[in-house]
Amino acid sequence: MRPGTLESLRGVQAAIADAILPELQAVYAQDVASMSQMLLESIASEWDSLAEDLHGDSLRVRDLLAGALDSLGPFAGGNETIAGIVRQIEELSGSPGAPSLRISDLAAENDRLRGLLERLIVVLEDLQPDPRYGALMGLRSAIYGHLRRVAAGGWSFWDMASFRERMAALKSDISR
Amino acid sequence: MTTLQSRIQEYLQSKLPEARDVTVANLHRIPGGASRETWSVDAAWRDNGREVSEGLIFRRDPDASVLTTDRDHEYRVVHAVYGRVPVPRTFWSEPDGANLDRPFFVMSRIDGCETNPTRVLMDPRFFANRDRIAREFTDALARIHSLDWRSLGLDFLGVPEDLGACALAEIQRWEQVIDADSLEPQPVLRGAFRWLRNHLPPPAQRITLVHADYRTGNFLCTPEGEIKGILDWEMAHLGDPLEDVAWACIRPWRWLGNELISGLMERPDFYRAYQEMSGLRVDEDAIRFYEVLGNIKLAAIFVTGARSFSDGRTRNPMMAFLGRNIRRLELEVLDLIGV
Repeated sequence: MRPGTLESLRGVQAAIADAILPELQAVYAQDVASMSQMLLESIASEWDSLAEDLHGDSLRVRDLLAGALDSLGPFAGGNETIAGIVRQIEELSGSPGAPSLRISDLAAENDRLRGLLERLIVVLEDLQPDPRYGALMGLRSAIYGHLRRVAAGGWSFWDMASFRERMAALKSDISR
Repeated sequence: MTTLQSRIQEYLQSKLPEARDVTVANLHRIPGGASRETWSVDAAWRDNGREVSEGLIFRRDPDASVLTTDRDHEYRVVHAVYGRVPVPRTFWSEPDGANLDRPFFVMSRIDGCETNPTRVLMDPRFFANRDRIAREFTDALARIHSLDWRSLGLDFLGVPEDLGACALAEIQRWEQVIDADSLEPQPVLRGAFRWLRNHLPPPAQRITLVHADYRTGNFLCTPEGEIKGILDWEMAHLGDPLEDVAWACIRPWRWLGNELISGLMERPDFYRAYQEMSGLRVDEDAIRFYEVLGNIKLAAIFVTGARSFSDGRTRNPMMAFLGRNIRRLELEVLDLIGV
């Protein structure tokens, strides 16, 4: 269907900028309109890649959780917390993926996986100071490495302001 | 005259029974301030034949907020510190919605100043006085931390059990916000909360009043560089003063996109000036801890805004927009933790 979603969103943004914003007298109304513009920008920037991003993130989290089973296995016998998280990962590993390519289904699967990742990273943080679990810290690094890539992705208004040099340095690191 | 304007006029008449010919004009809402609505009016009346005019600010509870704060608590803090640090003069606090539908308080408007970070940091008139702004910014913070909060009656804010309890209390405060309001898993924030618990800072050097949102954007400044009002005290509490120092340092407030603290000064200069003015030592480990906490706290505030939007309690697009911008805060947290 044309115009497509992105084309239409850009049209709405242009209409707000050209026809509505100049007519607004109140500073507060101008502020709300500008904020709406940025919200639309945020939506537009993720639109095309959202399904791919959710799917890719879920695949990577499944990989990390599978790796966690291998890493945690040797420690599960003597530690009930580790044994508990191992059981949860095993249960989720056997569950089916998203039933469709709908964003809502992909997001629900991603939330389930990230929810388990959240519990796993909390366990690893609590084990981190204990040298007996040093072998698990590679898993911790791998998880944070993935979360870092996600955190650095997408569009943010901060990239034009407070995070401008930080994001430029990050892009420079990636390109090297 | 709008309905709200006429109701404000009626309210002022009720608060000023001796006054004659009370009028209000130029009612307008001031942008920003996601935790409370801020309205400005020009009020005028006759007092014993004398013409009186006063710019007033009404801080009214919103339909929904990025954080749940006690309005009376903010009012009492501003009232208590007036005359000791630059803040607006307080007039009245109304805890119920009888007058303007929702609770509110009233304070003086400080004219001739700017608060918008872009203009404070980039307008050539302010830019020429940046050194003075930086000095006044640091001086006002040191003064807040030097206040005798007991004699000011601020112990109602809740006194930490001891010097070592300040950091843990803040972790618990913001973890509860994430527990209550998060709409989706937060692996970075949850991991970082655990990291904080495992890396508690040294005990506070002393317990002070903590502003808790001290940064460029929350003060009123003249083009000559004089800071005439510190704003937004809704998160004020008693705790570790280095929490404020670190909050002023976090990347989201480095508005110019470089490393200048709050867009004003180099970090070593900020530390040096603060130490001289406050007599407190800036401990780098404590600052790192509180910077991690600060970024998580800001993320938690955004999470609350997102929850308000998604629950339909507000249609303010800012709430949705901020909720969609947590990722960069996560990146900063991961940088600070070093993973």
